[in-house]
Amino acid sequence: MAYYLHYKDPNSPEMIRTLESIPKCPGTCFFMDINKSTDIKYQGGLPDWGRKLNNTFNDLLYANHFQNNIVKGIGDEMMLFITDDELKRKPSNNTYFGLLEDIYAALFLIRNHPNPDLFLNCKVAIHYCTEVYNITFFEGANDYYGSDIDLTARLMTKGIENRIVLSETFYHQVKHDLKTLGLPSDTGCLQKVSKRLITNFKGVPKSKAYRIIDVQ
Amino acid sequence: MELSEQKTPQCTIVGIIGRLDTTNYSLLEKKLMDLIDNQQTHILVECSKMDYVSSSGLRILLMALKKITLAKGKFVLCGLQENIREIFEISGFTNIFEICGSKEDALLVF
Repeated sequence: MAYYLHYKDPNSPEMIRTLESIPKCPGTCFFMDINKSTDIKYQGGLPDWGRKLNNTFNDLLYANHFQNNIVKGIGDEMMLFITDDELKRKPSNNTYFGLLEDIYAALFLIRNHPNPDLFLNCKVAIHYCTEVYNITFFEGANDYYGSDIDLTARLMTKGIENRIVLSETFYHQVKHDLKTLGLPSDTGCLQKVSKRLITNFKGVPKSKAYRIIDVQ
Repeated sequence: MELSEQKTPQCTIVGIIGRLDTTNYSLLEKKLMDLIDNQQTHILVECSKMDYVSSSGLRILLMALKKITLAKGKFVLCGLQENIREIFEISGFTNIFEICGSKEDALLVF
């Protein structure tokens, strides 16, 4: 459960002490965005776009057993976070490679589904976070804050429909998994991964490396 | 996860036993694609002992369905456990796959 911060005194020494005691919470952060959902709201009524949002969110979450990892959703975008502790406890797909493969497969299923009227195409950003804290400022809520969460959101600016944008940090975690599993470095969707790209993201002090995988 | 294979006069039955996930979906992919490449395009996938599937496993089934449909074969699934059926429903698979309750029922459709 998240650390709940709520101090009425803006200069509360106790607040500072509490903040200094909160441990980091490493894990994998996903931002998932459904494409064109704004467009279809102008073209069709709620039964059309509501149905497609329902179907697409369900497919991304339930088919990959991510339903307990939703941190928040706003409109057609959602944020998921899986702590390393939780990932290790999963009986299946308990590696970063597994997470990436399932996300790739989910986007593949949406893109290639024989009935194109059921789902909406998506874009996804994934980052392995170390500068992250499980805190919330709102009673009863769960949330994660930290510079690595901000970076995950920035990665989305490189996303287009049917694309996964992965930070170099997450890519290294996946490569490490493959080595541990004794699998070739181009296993699965890594056959389609781009070369290393570097950019300066708005608000991020240093340039960051990332890669993309376009789902065919 | 383990795979079994049984030839019958109507079709080849591929059984999935255990958890179909990202660590082993390539085994199912190889099994199904080898069968299809060898013109064995009447395939029944027996799922009664499959207790976990995620998108990676579903992707292989969809790829096999597309290949078999192109080859004018028949691809049927049977024996889905309740939690697996739910995943199939969410993924919109129950309307594109022929799914039977039991192996015996499934063999009648070939």
